[in-house]
Amino acid sequence: MTERRGWTHLLFVLPFLAVYLWLLVYPLLTGVSLSLHRANLFGGATFIGLENYTRLFRDATFRQALGNTVLFVALCVPVLVTVALALALALNRAGRFAAALRSIVFASSVLSVTVMTIVWRQVLTVDGGLLSHVAQGVGARPLAFLSDPHLVLPSLVLITVWWSLGLPMILFLSALQQIPRSVYEAAALDRATPWSVFRHVTLPALTPALLLVIAYECALQFQLFGQPQLLTQGGPNGASRPMVLYIYETGFNHWDVGYAAAASQILFALILVVALVPQLARRLWGRA
Amino acid sequence: MSAVAIAPINTRGRQTWAWLRLAFCASMLAFVLLPLLWAVYLSFRPNVELMRHAPLKLTGPYTLDNYIELFRNATLFRWFFNSMVVSGASVAGVLVLSSLAGFAFGRLQFPGRNWLYALVLMGLAIPDQSVILTRHQIFSDLHWHNSYLALILPGLSAPLGVFLMTEAFRALPKSLEDAARLDGASTFSTFWHILLPQTVPALASLAIYTFLLSWNDYWWPLISATRPAMFTLTEGMAAAQSNYIEVTGMGVLTAQAVVAGLPVLIIYILFQKHIVGAVTGMVKL
Amino acid sequence: MRAWAALLCALVALGGCEKPDPRPSITVQRIFGDCRAHVPKFGKATLNPNGECEIITELLDRFEAENPDIRLNINTVAWPGYNQLSAQLAADDAPDLVTMHMAVIPDYQTHGLLMPMGQGLAKAGVAPDAFTPAARRAVTINNEVYGLPFDTWTQLFHINMNLFGQAGLVRNGEPILPRNAQELLTQARQFHKATGKPYFVQSIVNEKAAYARNLYTYLLAQNEIVFPEPNRIRVNTSKAREIVALFRQIYAEDLTTRDQDYAAATTAFINGEGGVYIVGTWMIGTFDTEAALAGRPLYHGYRVKPYPRLFGQVDPAFVDGHAWVMPRKKRTPAQEAATYRLLKFLSQHEAEWTRSGHLSSMQAVADDPKWRAGPHRRDLVAITNYGQGLPTDVQRQFAIQEMLSDELAAAITGLKPIDEALGDAETRINDMLANLS
Repeated sequence: MTERRGWTHLLFVLPFLAVYLWLLVYPLLTGVSLSLHRANLFGGATFIGLENYTRLFRDATFRQALGNTVLFVALCVPVLVTVALALALALNRAGRFAAALRSIVFASSVLSVTVMTIVWRQVLTVDGGLLSHVAQGVGARPLAFLSDPHLVLPSLVLITVWWSLGLPMILFLSALQQIPRSVYEAAALDRATPWSVFRHVTLPALTPALLLVIAYECALQFQLFGQPQLLTQGGPNGASRPMVLYIYETGFNHWDVGYAAAASQILFALILVVALVPQLARRLWGRA
Repeated sequence: MSAVAIAPINTRGRQTWAWLRLAFCASMLAFVLLPLLWAVYLSFRPNVELMRHAPLKLTGPYTLDNYIELFRNATLFRWFFNSMVVSGASVAGVLVLSSLAGFAFGRLQFPGRNWLYALVLMGLAIPDQSVILTRHQIFSDLHWHNSYLALILPGLSAPLGVFLMTEAFRALPKSLEDAARLDGASTFSTFWHILLPQTVPALASLAIYTFLLSWNDYWWPLISATRPAMFTLTEGMAAAQSNYIEVTGMGVLTAQAVVAGLPVLIIYILFQKHIVGAVTGMVKL
Repeated sequence: MRAWAALLCALVALGGCEKPDPRPSITVQRIFGDCRAHVPKFGKATLNPNGECEIITELLDRFEAENPDIRLNINTVAWPGYNQLSAQLAADDAPDLVTMHMAVIPDYQTHGLLMPMGQGLAKAGVAPDAFTPAARRAVTINNEVYGLPFDTWTQLFHINMNLFGQAGLVRNGEPILPRNAQELLTQARQFHKATGKPYFVQSIVNEKAAYARNLYTYLLAQNEIVFPEPNRIRVNTSKAREIVALFRQIYAEDLTTRDQDYAAATTAFINGEGGVYIVGTWMIGTFDTEAALAGRPLYHGYRVKPYPRLFGQVDPAFVDGHAWVMPRKKRTPAQEAATYRLLKFLSQHEAEWTRSGHLSSMQAVADDPKWRAGPHRRDLVAITNYGQGLPTDVQRQFAIQEMLSDELAAAITGLKPIDEALGDAETRINDMLANLS
């Protein structure tokens, strides 16, 4: 297609771009400007340069939240992606059982975070929780999933995996659908083992979806918020406070919105680097 | 009948594989299902029972009171309607905007394409909490709060849809367009008649996901829809809880969970055949 | 054309398209939940008649019935409702009357977002000297009244008398409570030995307030200055460390329940798993109901008392309360009159509201022998006199309470040394207060 017609192609992008610039990019830029001010919910903004940023790095609570967030993503994303991929491979077939299991897995994702945390509280709580019943059944001491500083983050990983399996699973499923049937037929003729079919046919075909899911889940899990907010309020001793909870506390509870904006910018930069740079690089320069 | 692997090989390998898959499926079933069943079970238990101990009795008593209490709240239906309107419109809006943009990013050339796409991807990294105040200001200035428009528009700015649709369009074989171009079809008609129908699995995933996000959104409705007539279901149910619902109404709360979760589950079941639709044909081989 | 107009109307300005109503319309925004399902309009609650939600619903219904010339809209919002209120104020769409914790009033008042109400209340016949001292202190800033007090609440010792009896801690039908820290430990150990159960039931998971309130209570009892200046907290003191050390000791010796959140702790107390539950006035009604059920662990065995004097020479109580405030907005004279009529109605019916277990914030109610004859009132009424909150020039009291509780919980469970936790609390809180704008 010619460059001249190229301009009209912009029309396809324009409607989305308009909303995107208006309701996401513009607010982001205001946030950058806000982060250079001392301000509260009701005005009173004073320009203070980079002071909010230096204040952040002196702030032990923020540093702890940063560490928690990185650790959470490092634990959560690999588990989530692996399990979702395995599920998609196992359930990519017709039949009632597979369909039912797909729906059940997805059903865990339909709950809102409020509801999901209520359900898991009933599972994890030491007093009368499902797991503590199980522990007592086998004669073990129930674990304090939500109040032991070493267990609380893994517990959040567990419930987040449970809650988030739905989307990556359906993304993998729809990617599997796009693999041409002929490839498998060829593999069948070669008497390939299931593993080598997976290794040499399925996995390469899934790579774009896999990268997409990893990038997206990284971006998403960096924004962990509702689970600790509703279950632990970041405790014990800050062990489950992620960055977004920190941002929420400073912005909405302390009304320290300039400071919260500065913390958001750091989170934003972090997500950009960790989740998107590899994607971008592939998109822009390494296109196959 | 085997899974993706149409490839039947030596019988022993096949059997091990099938057993592994079965074991995996069974354990996933338990992992996912037990907490859900637990929640459903709690929703049928009397509140007083839940406040006392021994919730592991399967013999009852059971009650429908939690659900009756829920449906006696007349405003609930209004909130349900609002949520349907908002989530439905969000799905429609996101599908239109994302497939148009995804088509252009995935299949067309235009000036600045890569940079614009990078700009869109960047949006995935923006946490909602960091833009919500400015968004609120934007709608305040327009006096648009407490309207469907205000509840729908922010959801349309999320870049995930564009990301998914770009990938989906990009994955389609080049030959599809070439045939269309030979017939002299316009760009739009190529998009509409030839390529878009090929992306139905991706569209279905996106529809389900958008519906889910919109249905469960809490923070934005909380500060934008401040009049009860405009509450969404998620927001309204939270408001209906008294301060210490954990103590006084665990049963009602879990009943709410079940009621609020069902519509999304139904949407999923309706759409899932589009995601996994092609399998049927494949397995018949 | 009309269809389009209707659609546009529906999409953009849903609220503005209703039929015109000549009556002045006022909007009340409240927490406490929605219980219309079992409180029929203009009727009596069929369930839980002493619950906060049920009482407020009945009261507002009654006002509506008695004042047909006012159109009353009710917004029920999720607790505590401040995010919505801030959003509404920013959108210039605030309700006419809002429930607000007294401790939160300074945040909004400083920014001129609340109407001074002294004059209007006086005109409506509700003079500030009708408030109890505790309530009056909390709603008055710079000699001006910014809210109508609706109740006073505080944390209390809720006692399982049946277990106390087993432990030999009852004399003449009265619970024996400790008179100092050492005695508390002795009695708690005695209790544990006799019953095999912990003395205290406390929530620690997801808990953002209880520990700060304990500390405030015992610091106030020793006349400690917690806020030397409105922008500076001082809690890393020997007196504070002594108080925290007591709670640390109790935890370390397993004299309290562990790993419980609020719901679990409440359930544990109801099920007789500990002797003393430290929680607020709002649970009194629920526990009384349990105490009336034969066969239950609390049956004929529930009492509630103010915190005993463990430190210092004066009776301690850190209190807060609910108030009704008027956000700043344009009101017609008719709306303003209607709002004050409702305020007057609410103040006149405060005694009914306190059926929920809250203490009265109206002196006349607190002095009324009939009110005092209510369950537990005689034990608790003095708090309405000596109870105090933080100074009203301290902003962000909710946030302070959260950060302080955070650190205290870490110290009490042994995750941090006490002085380090108190030091961290000071650093965090003072950093926030130093950056107020």
